[in-house]
Amino acid sequence: MQLDIQNLSKRYGNNYGVKEYSLSMEKGILGLLGPNGAGKSTLLKMIATVSKPTEGTILVNRNNIVKDPNYIRKQLGYLPQNFGVYPNLNAIEFLNYMAALKGIGGPSVKKRIYQLLEGLNLMDAAKKPIGTYSGGMKQRVGIAQALLNNPKMLIFDEPTVGLDPEERVRFRNLISDLANECIIILSSHIVSDIVTIADEVAIMKKGTLVSKGFQEDTIAHVAGRVYEIKIPKDAITTFKKDHTIVSITRKASHVIVRYVGTSVEGATTALPTLEDAYLYLTKN
Amino acid sequence: MNTFFTIIKSDYLQRTRSYTFLITLCISVAVGYTFIPAPGASYATIQLGEYIGVYNAAWFGYVTAMMSSVFLSLIGFYLINSGIKRDRITQVGQITAATSISNTAYLCTKALSNFAILMTILAVLFGMSIILFFLYSDGYPFDIMQFITPFLFIPVPAIACISILAVLFEMILGKYSVLQNIGFFIVFGFLVSLQSRDSFNTANVDLFGSQVVINAMVDVAQTQITDPDMIELNIGYTIGNKSASKTFIFEGVSFPISYNISRLLWVGGPLLLLCSIAPFFHRFDIKEALRLLPKKYNEEYRKHKRIQIDELAEVTPKIGLYTLYKMELYMLTQNSSKWLWLPTLSIMIAMIFVPITISHQILLPLVWFLQIARIASITSKELTSNVAPFAFASYKPLQRLLTSQLLAAITLLLVLASPLLIRLLINNDSTAVSAILLGALFIISLAAFFGIVTRGKKLFEIVFFIVTYTNMSKLPYTDYFGGLTPAIHHYYILIPIVVVLYVGTYSMRKLEIRRL
Repeated sequence: MQLDIQNLSKRYGNNYGVKEYSLSMEKGILGLLGPNGAGKSTLLKMIATVSKPTEGTILVNRNNIVKDPNYIRKQLGYLPQNFGVYPNLNAIEFLNYMAALKGIGGPSVKKRIYQLLEGLNLMDAAKKPIGTYSGGMKQRVGIAQALLNNPKMLIFDEPTVGLDPEERVRFRNLISDLANECIIILSSHIVSDIVTIADEVAIMKKGTLVSKGFQEDTIAHVAGRVYEIKIPKDAITTFKKDHTIVSITRKASHVIVRYVGTSVEGATTALPTLEDAYLYLTKN
Repeated sequence: MNTFFTIIKSDYLQRTRSYTFLITLCISVAVGYTFIPAPGASYATIQLGEYIGVYNAAWFGYVTAMMSSVFLSLIGFYLINSGIKRDRITQVGQITAATSISNTAYLCTKALSNFAILMTILAVLFGMSIILFFLYSDGYPFDIMQFITPFLFIPVPAIACISILAVLFEMILGKYSVLQNIGFFIVFGFLVSLQSRDSFNTANVDLFGSQVVINAMVDVAQTQITDPDMIELNIGYTIGNKSASKTFIFEGVSFPISYNISRLLWVGGPLLLLCSIAPFFHRFDIKEALRLLPKKYNEEYRKHKRIQIDELAEVTPKIGLYTLYKMELYMLTQNSSKWLWLPTLSIMIAMIFVPITISHQILLPLVWFLQIARIASITSKELTSNVAPFAFASYKPLQRLLTSQLLAAITLLLVLASPLLIRLLINNDSTAVSAILLGALFIISLAAFFGIVTRGKKLFEIVFFIVTYTNMSKLPYTDYFGGLTPAIHHYYILIPIVVVLYVGTYSMRKLEIRRL
């Protein structure tokens, strides 16, 4: 499967949610990073055919899904950032409904639903109304519905929200397994999730693509620009004004500040990470 | 105190910034316009035999005040009865519960915000009554007090009472909105039955506050006219009657003290009740069964197997309507309290045994009205439950999903009407059968269209309530199911309406899918 996004824009009045965005990918996992309001969800909604772009095209295997959304809908698994459920239905009923919506059927649907519920650790609660589920359990129901139709393209918007550490690891493994056969695009605020999951990383800022490439290429943007420095606690406020802070580690008598920028007296270079690159690219 | 009013203001703004409120306001303007018939109109709203009051300021002020009182009491409850529910769904309630606001203060803010919403509509109706005066009056002088006094004493206490009742219903019946709707229907019927000319005391137990005025109108008319046919006063829409050509002069009412006290009691009584039971308000501490996972669940947590992608069962395409239709039908049956099936099934059984006319005129609209919670949300549930991102990104959502929803809802109504339909078929009454089919199509098209336009179910609930209430009152012009009048002449009106509503539903949903 081939995905080509060409000059995609979504305009709200005079403001752009996404502006002249172009991207191309085949199999694998693309991690989408960006601060709040960067346009990640808007972009994902357009790829998922939920929202129509103002300009540009989205081609899947050379089919323009802006004009013919049903081409991708049969092969799409989509987990929105904020989604709801029908609270009176239990997980099995809800997934059956989702299967009907997606246009899949046959005797194997029931088996697949049970396999997904079991694999996502929801079997014990499968016959309870979803309205009684915790946030993490609802999120897993959302993941299950995305996998119902054997999708060839998976779009996950903040998929790990509400998942506990163990479930997060389970999700990462699942995504890795799926990546061999599908295009997977996922957004997250949690850089560590992207580090462990994504093959490629796209960083967005104010609706535009700031950087896209393999993790090493993205990290290369900040090579030699990441430093650590030991400063007194009362100097933090002044230091923050002039530097892009990545982290602050508090010690008894001082703090160790990790920042991206230029070297100052007393600073030592540090090995750059994706988080450093992300902060550098979105704040500068 | 400032905080108190800030909460009311925020709540008021949140609730009035909706299509439902806007449309209700438009409907109110349209209804308010009919409160005083234009000279020569073929209907009357208040009439004593062949007599009506001269079109002076008092007649305009009192008649519109009385009509507003009944109208707003009727629709008001359905417009405002979800203040607490909204806080629960949006989880603003949990944030509020963590503040220092007391239960009593919170519930009073809800009642006052309800009151403010209804007062807004009343203000529009008040303005409309003055406009009507200048449009239709027969050269009588304008006297603003003849408008202010009746509006202040008649509808204001009534809507204040309804505002508090709505909070009480929400508090007592919690999340069972269907029971609230049906409960108020019964309460409203009871309140209407309290109105009577015969007893002075009943005038004081009249929530709508109109009985004293009606009594005064009859009394003043009797002093001016000696006509035995004049005695009977009709309030409400009398359509097709052009005989009210004679007039009497009505100059307003001096409200007795007992009346004023009764108006205060209609507000004070429910308010006192609200304050008394406020300590028992759940304060959004609502049990959710699975918040704490069962022990067994935790024990099995770690030994659970993971999803093996290559072992997942293969699924096959099935893009027909049937599966989706079946699921929609199932969801309709689940979308309300189980207990509602008890009266529903009882009415269906009664439909077999009672005279066929009663079955058609009373039981059919009643059993359909009982499904108000199920059918009101057929096309709005995707948005209200936030399932729209799944539903609208599904395969052919317009053709498959919407069609399934409409077919499922129509099926439900027809199944509920089946005992009557079978009897009518046995009697070979194809006209009545087709009228019922058309009625089901109409109600579902109305629910679907309003649901999509307003993105909620409120407007349909209000309209369906009014329609059912007028059906129960045997007013022929809202007879959508052919029970009160021969169906055949309705076809010319109803069929085009149904067609327009269905076309509108599909068109609006198409836009909705694009704009999500």
